[in-house]
Amino acid sequence: MSSLTLPVSGSAGQRAMAVIEARRMARQPVFLVGVGLGYLVLAIFLALDHDPYAPVVLTLPLVGAFYIGLTSVIAAAWLTRSTEVAVEAVATAPGTEARRTLALAAAGLPPFVAGLVFSAGIVVAAQVLGVAPQEWWFGTLPDWQVWSLLLMCPVACLDGALLGVLAGRWLRFRGAPAMVLVALIVVSLLGQVPLLDTSSSEWRLWVPWAVFHTGDNADGTQTLIAGNPGAYLGYLLALGVLAVLGAMWHDRAARTPRFRVLAASVAVAALALLALAVTTGNHDNRISDPIPSRATR
Amino acid sequence: MSVSTHTVELTGVGKRYGRARALTDVDLAFGRGVTGLLGPNGAGKTTLLRIVATSIAADSGEVRLLGRDPHSSFADVTAVRRELGYLPQELGYPSDMTAFGFVEYVAVLKEWNDREARSQEVRRVLELVGLADQAPVRISRLSGGQRRRVGLAQALLGDPRLVVLDEPTTGLDPAQRADLRRTLSALGHRSAVLLSTHQTEDVAALCERVVVLAGGTVRFDGAVTDLVATAQGRVWLADETGDDALVSCRTGSGRHHVVGGTPPTGEDIAEPSLEDAYLLMLGPEARRVHAPG
Repeated sequence: MSSLTLPVSGSAGQRAMAVIEARRMARQPVFLVGVGLGYLVLAIFLALDHDPYAPVVLTLPLVGAFYIGLTSVIAAAWLTRSTEVAVEAVATAPGTEARRTLALAAAGLPPFVAGLVFSAGIVVAAQVLGVAPQEWWFGTLPDWQVWSLLLMCPVACLDGALLGVLAGRWLRFRGAPAMVLVALIVVSLLGQVPLLDTSSSEWRLWVPWAVFHTGDNADGTQTLIAGNPGAYLGYLLALGVLAVLGAMWHDRAARTPRFRVLAASVAVAALALLALAVTTGNHDNRISDPIPSRATR
Repeated sequence: MSVSTHTVELTGVGKRYGRARALTDVDLAFGRGVTGLLGPNGAGKTTLLRIVATSIAADSGEVRLLGRDPHSSFADVTAVRRELGYLPQELGYPSDMTAFGFVEYVAVLKEWNDREARSQEVRRVLELVGLADQAPVRISRLSGGQRRRVGLAQALLGDPRLVVLDEPTTGLDPAQRADLRRTLSALGHRSAVLLSTHQTEDVAALCERVVVLAGGTVRFDGAVTDLVATAQGRVWLADETGDDALVSCRTGSGRHHVVGGTPPTGEDIAEPSLEDAYLLMLGPEARRVHAPG
Protein backbone atom coordinates (compact mmCIF):
# COMPACT_ATOMS: atom_id res chain seq x y z
CA MET A 1 0.00 0.00 0.00
CA SER A 2 1.32 3.47 -0.87
CA SER A 3 1.77 6.25 1.59
CA LEU A 4 -1.47 8.12 1.99
CA THR A 5 0.25 11.34 2.98
CA LEU A 6 -0.84 14.08 0.63
CA PRO A 7 1.92 16.58 -0.14
CA VAL A 8 1.11 20.25 0.23
CA SER A 9 0.90 22.19 -3.03
CA GLY A 10 3.46 24.87 -3.70
CA SER A 11 6.32 25.91 -5.91
CA ALA A 12 7.77 22.38 -5.95
CA GLY A 13 4.70 21.12 -7.79
CA GLN A 14 4.79 24.06 -10.17
CA ARG A 15 8.46 23.34 -10.90
CA ALA A 16 7.70 19.68 -11.55
CA MET A 17 4.95 20.62 -14.01
CA ALA A 18 7.25 23.11 -15.71
CA VAL A 19 9.96 20.47 -16.11
CA ILE A 20 7.46 18.10 -17.72
CA GLU A 21 6.30 20.74 -20.19
CA ALA A 22 9.83 21.88 -21.03
CA ARG A 23 10.84 18.25 -21.69
CA ARG A 24 7.80 17.71 -23.90
CA MET A 25 8.69 20.81 -25.88
CA ALA A 26 12.30 19.72 -26.26
CA ARG A 27 11.06 16.45 -27.83
CA GLN A 28 8.37 18.04 -29.99
CA PRO A 29 9.06 17.11 -33.65
CA VAL A 30 8.03 20.46 -35.13
CA PHE A 31 10.33 22.30 -32.74
CA LEU A 32 13.21 19.93 -33.45
CA VAL A 33 12.74 20.40 -37.20
CA GLY A 34 12.86 24.17 -36.70
CA VAL A 35 16.06 23.96 -34.67
CA GLY A 36 17.66 21.62 -37.17
CA LEU A 37 16.74 23.81 -40.12
CA GLY A 38 17.93 26.96 -38.41
CA TYR A 39 21.34 25.54 -37.59
CA LEU A 40 21.63 23.97 -41.03
CA VAL A 41 20.85 27.21 -42.83
CA LEU A 42 23.36 29.06 -40.65
CA ALA A 43 26.04 26.48 -41.35
CA ILE A 44 25.36 26.52 -45.09
CA PHE A 45 25.33 30.31 -45.15
CA LEU A 46 28.66 30.50 -43.37
CA ALA A 47 30.21 27.70 -45.41
CA LEU A 48 29.12 28.86 -48.85
CA ASP A 49 29.82 32.53 -48.47
CA HIS A 50 32.92 33.51 -50.43
CA ASP A 51 33.58 36.64 -48.44
CA PRO A 52 36.85 36.53 -46.50
CA TYR A 53 34.98 37.62 -43.36
CA ALA A 54 31.89 36.37 -41.48
CA PRO A 55 28.94 37.62 -43.50
CA VAL A 56 26.41 40.20 -42.21
CA VAL A 57 26.62 38.91 -38.66
CA LEU A 58 23.91 41.11 -37.17
CA THR A 59 21.27 39.87 -39.63
CA LEU A 60 21.94 36.24 -38.79
CA PRO A 61 19.92 36.27 -35.53
CA LEU A 62 16.89 36.72 -37.78
CA VAL A 63 17.55 33.29 -39.27
CA GLY A 64 17.34 31.68 -35.85
CA ALA A 65 14.28 33.70 -34.90
CA PHE A 66 12.61 32.65 -38.14
CA TYR A 67 13.19 28.93 -38.04
CA ILE A 68 13.18 28.30 -34.30
CA GLY A 69 10.80 31.05 -33.21
CA LEU A 70 8.12 30.39 -35.80
CA THR A 71 8.12 26.61 -35.38
CA SER A 72 7.93 27.15 -31.63
CA VAL A 73 4.58 28.91 -32.13
CA ILE A 74 3.17 25.76 -33.70
CA ALA A 75 4.84 23.38 -31.28
CA ALA A 76 3.76 25.25 -28.14
CA ALA A 77 0.20 25.65 -29.40
CA TRP A 78 0.02 21.94 -30.04
CA LEU A 79 1.47 21.19 -26.62
CA THR A 80 -1.11 23.42 -24.93
CA ARG A 81 -4.04 21.87 -26.77
CA SER A 82 -2.78 18.32 -26.37
CA THR A 83 -2.83 18.50 -22.59
CA GLU A 84 -6.36 19.84 -22.60
CA VAL A 85 -7.73 16.77 -24.36
CA ALA A 86 -7.52 15.23 -20.90
CA VAL A 87 -9.19 18.26 -19.33
CA GLU A 88 -12.04 16.27 -17.85
CA ALA A 89 -9.59 14.37 -15.65
CA VAL A 90 -6.97 17.06 -15.02
CA ALA A 91 -9.54 19.73 -14.21
CA THR A 92 -10.71 17.69 -11.21
CA ALA A 93 -7.22 17.56 -9.76
CA PRO A 94 -6.17 20.23 -7.26
CA GLY A 95 -4.83 23.34 -8.88
CA THR A 96 -6.22 25.44 -11.63
CA GLU A 97 -6.01 25.87 -15.35
CA ALA A 98 -4.01 29.05 -14.71
CA ARG A 99 -1.35 27.07 -12.85
CA ARG A 100 -1.17 24.58 -15.70
CA THR A 101 -0.80 27.48 -18.12
CA LEU A 102 1.99 28.96 -16.07
CA ALA A 103 3.76 25.60 -16.22
CA LEU A 104 3.29 25.59 -19.99
CA ALA A 105 5.25 28.84 -20.15
CA ALA A 106 8.27 26.68 -19.37
CA ALA A 107 7.83 25.29 -22.86
CA GLY A 108 9.56 28.50 -23.91
CA LEU A 109 12.81 27.42 -22.31
CA PRO A 110 14.01 24.95 -24.97
CA PRO A 111 13.46 27.49 -27.79
CA PHE A 112 15.18 30.15 -25.71
CA VAL A 113 18.19 27.92 -25.14
CA ALA A 114 18.23 26.89 -28.81
CA GLY A 115 18.20 30.57 -29.79
CA LEU A 116 20.93 31.36 -27.31
CA VAL A 117 23.12 28.62 -28.75
CA PHE A 118 22.35 29.97 -32.23
CA SER A 119 23.51 33.46 -31.26
CA ALA A 120 26.55 32.02 -29.49
CA GLY A 121 27.35 30.23 -32.74
CA ILE A 122 27.25 33.54 -34.59
CA VAL A 123 29.69 35.07 -32.09
CA VAL A 124 32.04 32.08 -32.38
CA ALA A 125 31.85 32.19 -36.20
CA ALA A 126 32.62 35.91 -36.11
CA GLN A 127 35.61 35.26 -33.87
CA VAL A 128 36.92 32.46 -36.06
CA LEU A 129 36.26 34.01 -39.47
CA GLY A 130 36.83 37.59 -38.45
CA VAL A 131 34.53 40.51 -39.17
CA ALA A 132 35.05 43.23 -41.78
CA PRO A 133 36.20 46.42 -40.04
CA GLN A 134 33.30 48.35 -41.62
CA GLU A 135 30.68 45.85 -40.48
CA TRP A 136 28.20 46.86 -37.79
CA TRP A 137 29.65 44.86 -34.92
CA PHE A 138 31.71 45.27 -31.75
CA GLY A 139 33.93 48.25 -32.33
CA THR A 140 31.64 50.07 -34.75
CA LEU A 141 28.66 49.92 -32.38
CA PRO A 142 28.38 50.18 -28.61
CA ASP A 143 28.70 46.73 -27.08
CA TRP A 144 25.23 46.88 -25.46
CA GLN A 145 23.64 47.42 -28.86
CA VAL A 146 25.44 44.43 -30.37
CA TRP A 147 24.48 42.17 -27.42
CA SER A 148 20.90 43.39 -27.64
CA LEU A 149 20.71 42.51 -31.30
CA LEU A 150 22.26 39.10 -30.70
CA LEU A 151 19.87 38.38 -27.83
CA MET A 152 16.88 39.16 -30.03
CA CYS A 153 17.20 35.67 -31.46
CA PRO A 154 16.65 33.73 -28.20
CA VAL A 155 14.03 36.21 -27.00
CA ALA A 156 12.14 35.93 -30.29
CA CYS A 157 12.30 32.14 -29.98
CA LEU A 158 10.98 32.33 -26.41
CA ASP A 159 8.22 34.72 -27.41
CA GLY A 160 7.26 32.45 -30.28
CA ALA A 161 6.60 29.63 -27.83
CA LEU A 162 4.68 31.90 -25.47
CA LEU A 163 2.57 33.14 -28.36
CA GLY A 164 1.88 29.49 -29.14
CA VAL A 165 0.67 28.89 -25.57
CA LEU A 166 -1.63 31.92 -25.88
CA ALA A 167 -2.98 30.69 -29.20
CA GLY A 168 -3.39 27.14 -27.89
CA ARG A 169 -5.41 28.36 -24.90
CA TRP A 170 -7.80 30.63 -26.76
CA LEU A 171 -8.08 29.30 -30.30
CA ARG A 172 -9.51 25.81 -30.52
CA PHE A 173 -10.25 25.51 -34.22
CA ARG A 174 -8.18 23.44 -36.60
CA GLY A 175 -5.33 25.36 -38.21
CA ALA A 176 -5.36 28.10 -35.58
CA PRO A 177 -1.60 27.96 -34.87
CA ALA A 178 -0.79 28.21 -38.57
CA MET A 179 -3.13 31.18 -38.87
CA VAL A 180 -1.43 32.89 -35.94
CA LEU A 181 1.91 32.28 -37.59
CA VAL A 182 0.81 33.82 -40.86
CA ALA A 183 -0.75 36.76 -39.01
CA LEU A 184 2.51 37.31 -37.12
CA ILE A 185 4.53 37.39 -40.34
CA VAL A 186 2.05 39.61 -42.17
CA VAL A 187 1.77 42.08 -39.29
CA SER A 188 5.54 42.19 -38.84
CA LEU A 189 6.14 42.80 -42.53
CA LEU A 190 3.35 45.28 -43.16
CA GLY A 191 4.09 47.11 -39.93
CA GLN A 192 7.71 47.82 -40.69
CA VAL A 193 8.70 47.40 -44.34
CA PRO A 194 7.08 50.67 -45.52
CA LEU A 195 8.91 52.54 -42.76
CA LEU A 196 12.41 51.09 -43.04
CA ASP A 197 13.77 53.62 -45.53
CA THR A 198 12.02 56.64 -44.04
CA SER A 199 12.94 59.17 -41.39
CA SER A 200 10.28 57.64 -39.14
CA SER A 201 11.70 54.12 -39.19
CA GLU A 202 11.80 53.98 -35.40
CA TRP A 203 7.97 53.79 -35.37
CA ARG A 204 8.21 50.29 -36.78
CA LEU A 205 9.24 49.04 -33.34
CA TRP A 206 5.68 48.28 -32.23
CA VAL A 207 5.78 45.08 -34.34
CA PRO A 208 6.82 41.94 -32.45
CA TRP A 209 9.57 41.09 -34.90
CA ALA A 210 11.35 44.26 -35.92
CA VAL A 211 14.55 44.21 -37.97
CA PHE A 212 17.44 46.47 -37.03
CA HIS A 213 19.84 45.48 -39.78
CA THR A 214 18.97 45.17 -43.45
CA GLY A 215 22.03 43.21 -44.53
CA ASP A 216 24.39 44.34 -47.30
CA ASN A 217 23.21 47.10 -49.58
CA ALA A 218 24.17 47.01 -53.27
CA ASP A 219 26.99 49.46 -52.70
CA GLY A 220 28.52 47.33 -49.95
CA THR A 221 27.26 49.48 -47.07
CA GLN A 222 25.00 48.24 -44.30
CA THR A 223 22.05 50.08 -42.79
CA LEU A 224 21.33 50.02 -39.08
CA ILE A 225 17.72 50.99 -38.62
CA ALA A 226 16.86 53.59 -35.98
CA GLY A 227 15.75 52.76 -32.46
CA ASN A 228 17.08 51.50 -29.15
CA PRO A 229 17.67 47.74 -29.45
CA GLY A 230 18.15 47.33 -25.71
CA ALA A 231 14.79 48.87 -24.87
CA TYR A 232 13.21 46.93 -27.73
CA LEU A 233 14.53 43.72 -26.23
CA GLY A 234 12.80 44.66 -22.99
CA TYR A 235 9.63 45.38 -24.94
CA LEU A 236 9.79 41.89 -26.49
CA LEU A 237 10.21 40.31 -23.06
CA ALA A 238 7.23 42.27 -21.77
CA LEU A 239 5.19 41.04 -24.77
CA GLY A 240 6.16 37.49 -23.82
CA VAL A 241 4.95 38.02 -20.27
CA LEU A 242 1.71 39.51 -21.60
CA ALA A 243 1.24 36.43 -23.77
CA VAL A 244 1.48 34.21 -20.69
CA LEU A 245 -0.87 36.42 -18.70
CA GLY A 246 -3.28 36.44 -21.63
CA ALA A 247 -3.22 32.65 -21.70
CA MET A 248 -3.82 32.51 -17.93
CA TRP A 249 -6.74 34.93 -18.35
CA HIS A 250 -8.59 32.08 -20.06
CA ASP A 251 -9.18 30.64 -16.57
CA ARG A 252 -11.96 32.76 -15.09
CA ALA A 253 -10.88 31.84 -11.58
CA ALA A 254 -7.54 33.54 -12.25
CA ARG A 255 -9.08 36.95 -12.95
CA THR A 256 -8.54 38.26 -9.44
CA PRO A 257 -7.95 41.95 -8.71
CA ARG A 258 -4.28 41.17 -8.09
CA PHE A 259 -3.98 39.48 -11.46
CA ARG A 260 -5.62 42.42 -13.21
CA VAL A 261 -3.18 44.82 -11.54
CA LEU A 262 -0.27 42.62 -12.60
CA ALA A 263 -1.47 42.45 -16.21
CA ALA A 264 -2.03 46.20 -16.32
CA SER A 265 1.42 46.83 -14.86
CA VAL A 266 3.11 44.65 -17.45
CA ALA A 267 1.13 46.34 -20.23
CA VAL A 268 2.23 49.74 -18.97
CA ALA A 269 5.83 48.52 -18.73
CA ALA A 270 5.63 47.22 -22.31
CA LEU A 271 4.37 50.58 -23.52
CA ALA A 272 7.07 52.41 -21.57
CA LEU A 273 9.76 50.19 -23.05
CA LEU A 274 8.33 50.71 -26.52
CA ALA A 275 8.42 54.47 -25.96
CA LEU A 276 12.03 54.18 -24.84
CA ALA A 277 12.91 52.06 -27.86
CA VAL A 278 11.36 54.61 -30.22
CA THR A 279 12.69 57.79 -28.60
CA THR A 280 16.18 56.79 -27.49
CA GLY A 281 19.12 54.98 -29.07
CA ASN A 282 19.86 55.68 -32.72
CA HIS A 283 17.59 58.52 -33.81
CA ASP A 284 18.08 57.95 -37.53
CA ASN A 285 19.11 55.11 -39.76
CA ARG A 286 22.87 54.76 -39.83
CA ILE A 287 24.82 53.76 -42.92
CA SER A 288 28.15 52.00 -42.47
CA ASP A 289 31.24 52.56 -44.58
CA PRO A 290 31.22 50.36 -47.67
CA ILE A 291 32.76 46.93 -47.43
CA PRO A 292 34.63 46.58 -50.72
CA SER A 293 34.10 42.82 -51.08
CA ARG A 294 30.31 43.19 -50.69
CA ALA A 295 29.65 45.84 -53.34
CA THR A 296 27.73 44.52 -56.34
CA ARG A 297 27.69 47.83 -58.24
CA MET B 1 -24.57 19.67 15.02
CA SER B 2 -24.55 16.09 13.73
CA VAL B 3 -21.53 14.89 11.82
CA SER B 4 -22.33 12.89 8.73
CA THR B 5 -20.50 9.62 8.16
CA HIS B 6 -21.29 9.71 4.47
CA THR B 7 -18.57 10.53 1.99
CA VAL B 8 -21.08 11.78 -0.54
CA GLU B 9 -24.39 13.45 0.25
CA LEU B 10 -26.65 14.80 -2.47
CA THR B 11 -29.94 16.38 -1.45
CA GLY B 12 -32.50 17.49 -4.01
CA VAL B 13 -29.83 17.86 -6.66
CA GLY B 14 -30.97 19.06 -10.07
CA LYS B 15 -29.18 19.92 -13.28
CA ARG B 16 -30.42 21.20 -16.59
CA TYR B 17 -28.83 21.79 -19.95
CA GLY B 18 -30.90 24.49 -21.55
CA ARG B 19 -34.46 23.23 -21.47
CA ALA B 20 -33.51 19.63 -20.90
CA ARG B 21 -33.54 18.44 -17.31
CA ALA B 22 -30.68 16.00 -16.84
CA LEU B 23 -31.29 15.43 -13.12
CA THR B 24 -34.33 16.13 -10.97
CA ASP B 25 -34.41 16.03 -7.17
CA VAL B 26 -31.73 13.43 -6.74
CA ASP B 27 -31.12 12.33 -3.17
CA LEU B 28 -28.15 10.10 -2.63
CA ALA B 29 -25.81 9.38 0.24
CA PHE B 30 -23.09 6.81 0.52
CA GLY B 31 -19.80 6.14 2.25
CA ARG B 32 -17.12 3.51 2.03
CA GLY B 33 -17.86 0.64 -0.34
CA VAL B 34 -18.69 0.26 -3.97
CA THR B 35 -21.94 1.79 -5.21
CA GLY B 36 -23.09 0.92 -8.70
CA LEU B 37 -24.98 3.36 -10.87
CA LEU B 38 -27.19 1.81 -13.53
CA GLY B 39 -29.40 3.43 -16.08
CA PRO B 40 -30.10 3.65 -19.79
CA ASN B 41 -28.35 6.12 -22.05
CA GLY B 42 -29.51 9.64 -21.30
CA ALA B 43 -30.56 8.77 -17.75
CA GLY B 44 -28.25 11.36 -16.24
CA LYS B 45 -25.56 9.00 -14.96
CA THR B 46 -22.63 10.94 -16.40
CA THR B 47 -24.11 14.22 -15.20
CA LEU B 48 -24.44 12.81 -11.71
CA LEU B 49 -20.90 11.47 -11.78
CA ARG B 50 -19.55 14.79 -13.01
CA ILE B 51 -21.27 16.59 -10.16
CA VAL B 52 -19.79 14.18 -7.62
CA ALA B 53 -16.39 14.56 -9.31
CA THR B 54 -16.66 18.38 -9.01
CA SER B 55 -16.35 18.70 -12.77
CA ILE B 56 -19.63 20.61 -12.95
CA ALA B 57 -21.88 22.25 -10.40
CA ALA B 58 -25.47 21.30 -9.71
CA ASP B 59 -28.10 23.91 -10.53
CA SER B 60 -30.13 23.17 -7.42
CA GLY B 61 -29.95 21.18 -4.24
CA GLU B 62 -27.10 20.54 -1.91
CA VAL B 63 -23.91 18.64 -2.57
CA ARG B 64 -21.57 17.63 0.20
CA LEU B 65 -18.42 15.68 -0.54
CA LEU B 66 -16.11 14.50 2.21
CA GLY B 67 -17.98 16.80 4.57
CA ARG B 68 -17.53 19.91 2.40
CA ASP B 69 -19.54 21.91 -0.07
CA PRO B 70 -17.24 21.75 -3.09
CA HIS B 71 -18.56 24.94 -4.63
CA SER B 72 -18.55 27.19 -1.60
CA SER B 73 -14.93 28.21 -1.93
CA PHE B 74 -11.74 27.47 -3.81
CA ALA B 75 -10.21 26.07 -0.63
CA ASP B 76 -13.09 23.60 -0.20
CA VAL B 77 -13.06 22.35 -3.77
CA THR B 78 -9.29 21.98 -3.63
CA ALA B 79 -9.55 20.03 -0.37
CA VAL B 80 -12.10 17.71 -1.96
CA ARG B 81 -10.06 17.26 -5.13
CA ARG B 82 -7.03 16.31 -3.08
CA GLU B 83 -8.89 13.17 -2.04
CA LEU B 84 -10.73 12.49 -5.27
CA GLY B 85 -10.00 10.21 -8.19
CA TYR B 86 -12.06 10.51 -11.36
CA LEU B 87 -12.22 8.48 -14.54
CA PRO B 88 -14.45 10.30 -17.05
CA GLN B 89 -16.54 8.48 -19.60
CA GLU B 90 -14.42 9.89 -22.39
CA LEU B 91 -10.84 10.68 -21.64
CA GLY B 92 -8.44 11.99 -24.24
CA TYR B 93 -4.71 11.61 -23.91
CA PRO B 94 -1.82 13.76 -25.17
CA SER B 95 -0.53 11.59 -27.98
CA ASP B 96 3.12 12.32 -27.26
CA MET B 97 2.95 11.01 -23.71
CA THR B 98 3.75 7.52 -22.54
CA ALA B 99 1.51 5.72 -20.07
CA PHE B 100 3.98 6.52 -17.31
CA GLY B 101 4.34 10.13 -18.48
CA PHE B 102 0.61 10.81 -18.45
CA VAL B 103 -0.02 9.26 -15.06
CA GLU B 104 3.02 11.11 -13.74
CA TYR B 105 1.62 14.38 -15.12
CA VAL B 106 -1.62 13.80 -13.24
CA ALA B 107 0.38 12.84 -10.16
CA VAL B 108 2.10 16.22 -10.31
CA LEU B 109 -1.29 17.91 -10.58
CA LYS B 110 -2.33 15.88 -7.56
CA GLU B 111 0.59 17.39 -5.71
CA TRP B 112 2.97 14.47 -5.61
CA ASN B 113 5.90 16.84 -5.49
CA ASP B 114 8.65 14.49 -4.40
CA ARG B 115 10.06 12.95 -7.57
CA GLU B 116 11.00 9.58 -6.11
CA ALA B 117 7.74 9.12 -4.23
CA ARG B 118 5.84 10.21 -7.31
CA SER B 119 7.60 7.70 -9.56
CA GLN B 120 6.94 4.93 -7.06
CA GLU B 121 3.27 5.80 -6.85
CA VAL B 122 2.92 5.94 -10.63
CA ARG B 123 4.54 2.53 -10.94
CA ARG B 124 2.26 1.20 -8.21
CA VAL B 125 -0.98 2.25 -9.88
CA LEU B 126 0.18 1.10 -13.31
CA GLU B 127 0.98 -2.28 -11.75
CA LEU B 128 -2.45 -2.29 -10.13
CA VAL B 129 -4.16 -1.99 -13.52
CA GLY B 130 -1.81 -4.46 -15.20
CA LEU B 131 0.16 -1.95 -17.26
CA ALA B 132 3.57 -2.14 -15.61
CA ASP B 133 5.13 -3.47 -18.82
CA GLN B 134 3.47 -0.82 -20.98
CA ALA B 135 4.65 2.09 -18.84
CA PRO B 136 7.20 3.37 -21.38
CA VAL B 137 4.87 2.86 -24.36
CA ARG B 138 3.24 5.87 -25.99
CA ILE B 139 -0.45 6.01 -25.26
CA SER B 140 -1.17 6.43 -28.97
CA ARG B 141 0.17 2.91 -29.45
CA LEU B 142 -1.94 1.29 -26.76
CA SER B 143 -5.20 -0.52 -27.41
CA GLY B 144 -8.53 0.97 -26.35
CA GLY B 145 -8.69 -1.25 -23.29
CA GLN B 146 -5.15 -0.36 -22.28
CA ARG B 147 -5.89 3.33 -22.63
CA ARG B 148 -8.90 2.86 -20.41
CA ARG B 149 -6.66 1.29 -17.83
CA VAL B 150 -4.26 4.23 -18.03
CA GLY B 151 -7.24 6.41 -17.23
CA LEU B 152 -8.13 4.17 -14.32
CA ALA B 153 -4.55 4.29 -13.05
CA GLN B 154 -4.57 8.07 -12.81
CA ALA B 155 -7.87 7.89 -10.91
CA LEU B 156 -6.31 5.55 -8.34
CA LEU B 157 -3.32 7.75 -7.57
CA GLY B 158 -2.87 8.20 -3.85
CA ASP B 159 -5.67 5.80 -2.87
CA PRO B 160 -8.26 8.59 -2.84
CA ARG B 161 -11.11 8.52 -0.34
CA LEU B 162 -13.62 9.15 -3.10
CA VAL B 163 -13.34 7.44 -6.46
CA VAL B 164 -15.73 8.20 -9.32
CA LEU B 165 -15.56 5.90 -12.33
CA ASP B 166 -17.66 6.39 -15.44
CA GLU B 167 -17.86 3.09 -17.29
CA PRO B 168 -14.45 1.81 -16.21
CA THR B 169 -14.86 -1.58 -17.86
CA THR B 170 -15.41 -0.27 -21.38
CA GLY B 171 -13.06 -1.99 -23.78
CA LEU B 172 -11.81 -4.53 -21.24
CA ASP B 173 -11.83 -8.23 -21.97
CA PRO B 174 -13.33 -10.65 -19.41
CA ALA B 175 -10.00 -11.39 -17.74
CA GLN B 176 -9.22 -7.69 -17.40
CA ARG B 177 -12.71 -7.05 -16.06
CA ALA B 178 -12.15 -9.73 -13.43
CA ASP B 179 -8.83 -8.08 -12.46
CA LEU B 180 -10.49 -4.71 -12.26
CA ARG B 181 -13.26 -6.08 -10.06
CA ARG B 182 -10.66 -7.40 -7.63
CA THR B 183 -8.91 -4.04 -7.60
CA LEU B 184 -12.10 -2.09 -7.04
CA SER B 185 -13.33 -4.52 -4.43
CA ALA B 186 -10.16 -3.99 -2.42
CA LEU B 187 -10.43 -0.25 -2.96
CA GLY B 188 -13.99 -0.31 -1.65
CA HIS B 189 -12.73 -1.39 1.76
CA ARG B 190 -10.91 1.92 2.12
CA SER B 191 -12.74 4.34 -0.13
CA ALA B 192 -16.16 5.35 -1.35
CA VAL B 193 -16.38 4.20 -4.96
CA LEU B 194 -19.16 5.27 -7.28
CA LEU B 195 -19.10 3.51 -10.59
CA SER B 196 -21.37 3.76 -13.54
CA THR B 197 -21.65 0.88 -15.94
CA HIS B 198 -23.89 -0.75 -18.49
CA GLN B 199 -22.67 -4.14 -17.38
CA THR B 200 -25.08 -5.41 -14.73
CA GLU B 201 -22.79 -8.34 -14.06
CA ASP B 202 -20.11 -5.89 -12.91
CA VAL B 203 -22.56 -4.40 -10.47
CA ALA B 204 -23.70 -7.81 -9.34
CA ALA B 205 -20.13 -8.94 -8.75
CA LEU B 206 -18.80 -5.80 -7.19
CA CYS B 207 -21.42 -3.63 -5.54
CA GLU B 208 -23.22 -3.96 -2.27
CA ARG B 209 -25.47 -1.16 -3.30
CA VAL B 210 -27.00 -0.06 -6.55
CA VAL B 211 -28.72 3.09 -7.70
CA VAL B 212 -30.93 2.94 -10.77
CA LEU B 213 -31.29 6.23 -12.57
CA ALA B 214 -33.73 6.84 -15.39
CA GLY B 215 -35.04 10.07 -16.85
CA GLY B 216 -32.92 12.04 -14.40
CA THR B 217 -34.56 10.60 -11.31
CA VAL B 218 -33.62 7.85 -8.91
CA ARG B 219 -35.82 4.79 -9.45
CA PHE B 220 -34.10 2.56 -6.96
CA ASP B 221 -31.49 3.01 -4.26
CA GLY B 222 -30.64 0.06 -2.10
CA ALA B 223 -28.93 -3.28 -1.80
CA VAL B 224 -28.30 -5.27 -4.95
CA THR B 225 -30.10 -8.24 -3.39
CA ASP B 226 -33.16 -6.09 -2.73
CA LEU B 227 -33.29 -5.01 -6.35
CA VAL B 228 -32.99 -8.60 -7.51
CA ALA B 229 -35.75 -9.59 -5.08
CA THR B 230 -38.18 -7.23 -6.83
CA ALA B 231 -37.99 -9.48 -9.89
CA GLN B 232 -38.81 -12.65 -7.97
CA GLY B 233 -41.65 -14.50 -9.66
CA ARG B 234 -41.57 -12.31 -12.74
CA VAL B 235 -38.95 -14.11 -14.78
CA TRP B 236 -39.53 -17.39 -16.60
CA LEU B 237 -38.02 -19.94 -18.88
CA ALA B 238 -40.65 -20.89 -21.44
CA ASP B 239 -41.09 -22.67 -24.73
CA GLU B 240 -42.54 -19.59 -26.35
CA THR B 241 -41.94 -15.92 -26.00
CA GLY B 242 -44.55 -14.01 -24.04
CA ASP B 243 -46.72 -11.66 -26.10
CA ASP B 244 -46.63 -8.88 -23.56
CA ALA B 245 -43.18 -9.66 -22.19
CA LEU B 246 -41.01 -6.73 -21.36
CA VAL B 247 -37.96 -8.47 -22.72
CA SER B 248 -37.62 -11.92 -24.19
CA CYS B 249 -34.65 -13.68 -25.67
CA ARG B 250 -33.82 -17.17 -26.82
CA THR B 251 -31.28 -19.01 -24.69
CA GLY B 252 -28.70 -21.56 -25.75
CA SER B 253 -31.02 -24.37 -24.67
CA GLY B 254 -33.62 -23.24 -27.16
CA ARG B 255 -36.05 -22.02 -24.52
CA HIS B 256 -36.98 -18.37 -24.07
CA HIS B 257 -35.89 -16.25 -21.15
CA VAL B 258 -38.94 -14.09 -20.52
CA VAL B 259 -38.98 -11.05 -18.29
CA GLY B 260 -42.22 -9.42 -17.20
CA GLY B 261 -45.70 -9.56 -18.65
CA THR B 262 -48.12 -12.47 -18.12
CA PRO B 263 -46.64 -15.94 -17.56
CA PRO B 264 -46.15 -17.55 -20.98
CA THR B 265 -47.23 -21.05 -21.91
CA GLY B 266 -45.21 -23.90 -20.43
CA GLU B 267 -43.27 -21.63 -18.17
CA ASP B 268 -40.86 -22.46 -15.41
CA ILE B 269 -40.07 -19.80 -12.84
CA ALA B 270 -36.46 -18.72 -13.28
CA GLU B 271 -34.10 -17.25 -10.77
CA PRO B 272 -33.92 -13.55 -11.70
CA SER B 273 -30.64 -11.85 -12.37
CA LEU B 274 -29.77 -8.27 -11.59
CA GLU B 275 -30.25 -7.48 -15.25
CA ASP B 276 -33.79 -8.86 -15.16
CA ALA B 277 -34.60 -6.77 -12.11
CA TYR B 278 -33.05 -3.70 -13.71
CA LEU B 279 -35.10 -4.16 -16.88
CA LEU B 280 -38.27 -4.61 -14.86
CA MET B 281 -37.38 -1.44 -12.94
CA LEU B 282 -37.11 0.47 -16.21
CA GLY B 283 -40.53 -0.81 -17.19
CA PRO B 284 -41.71 0.23 -20.67
CA GLU B 285 -38.46 2.10 -21.23
CA ALA B 286 -36.78 -1.27 -21.30
CA ARG B 287 -38.67 -2.10 -24.50
CA ARG B 288 -37.37 1.05 -26.11
CA VAL B 289 -33.76 0.59 -25.13
CA HIS B 290 -33.56 -3.18 -25.07
CA ALA B 291 -35.50 -4.62 -27.99
CA PRO B 292 -36.75 -8.23 -27.58
CA GLY B 293 -34.32 -10.78 -29.03
